[in-house]
Amino acid sequence: MARRIIRIIASKHCDDPVINYKDITYLGKFLTPQGQILSRRRSGFCTQCQRQLKKAIKQARHVALLPFVG
Amino acid sequence: MAQIYEAMFLLDNQVVREDWGKAKAIVTKTLEKHGGTILTARRWDERKLAYMIEGNRRATFLLVHHEIPGDAIPAMQRDFNLNETVLRYLSLAVDVVPEEEQALSEAENAEDFTIPTPPPDDAPDEEEPREDVDEDSLRGRSRGSAGERSANSKEPDKEPDEEPAAGAEAPATSDTASPESSGTTTGTESAAAGTETATEPANAGSDTATEPANESSGTEPVGAVDETKDGDGADGSKEL
Ligand SMILES: [Zn+2]
Repeated sequence: MARRIIRIIASKHCDDPVINYKDITYLGKFLTPQGQILSRRRSGFCTQCQRQLKKAIKQARHVALLPFVG
Repeated sequence: MAQIYEAMFLLDNQVVREDWGKAKAIVTKTLEKHGGTILTARRWDERKLAYMIEGNRRATFLLVHHEIPGDAIPAMQRDFNLNETVLRYLSLAVDVVPEEEQALSEAENAEDFTIPTPPPDDAPDEEEPREDVDEDSLRGRSRGSAGERSANSKEPDKEPDEEPAAGAEAPATSDTASPESSGTTTGTESAAAGTETATEPANAGSDTATEPANESSGTEPVGAVDETKDGDGADGSKEL
């Protein structure tokens, strides 16, 4: 049976992707409960957006806005 | 023209409590010392940190837009690394200063502007629940208490599907409905789980190999459990 994928289509980002590390309510949606970044398959982002997401989450982690774990 | 930077500084609340202007000046003076020009500087937020930094659970966030010559940056970084008021900083190159930042910064420079005193370090944050919780964990929550669930999730992935249902639903339904109803639900669920145990290894051998390992090592493999439940398709079997 196919796995159900939680897909968040973020189409507005594909034209002009701007994902900011300060927008933690948005970034928080792309973390697992343990704090891992959702895979591209689960986030539904394209390459460019996923790369931005990764960067933004890691920046937010650096300033303790998002957890590294937990 | 020097590059514009957007920098976020985490300031020690102890210093902020004494005087916000002084705390802000520590940062702006350091930047100016290294040849920088402050474009905007404002209190972004005061919040609980996601993890402790130098023994602090909370900190005040200062957002600064500034220009600084590139060759002065290493010396500036060294200064901030040594500064005990600045717990952490993040500096990013940007093209322009956003207009709303300009306005917010000017509002802070006004005479009658006061910032709220930072709460004590152990004050909880008014935090909205995370929205990435998928329906599986919601189902788990409705089924039983969080304690029951975490206790059960230590066991191999087949049991949590059956036993919390039996354990949690029986007392819940016994008040309202007849005991037979709870019995039938657990019966169908365990039957469904049985068929899944048969199909899963054939479909995804690698998954079944990794998932029990996760569960034994981690005490709260919520994600892992959710994943397996996705695979189990407990939703589908229930609706059928
Ligand atoms: Zn995209």
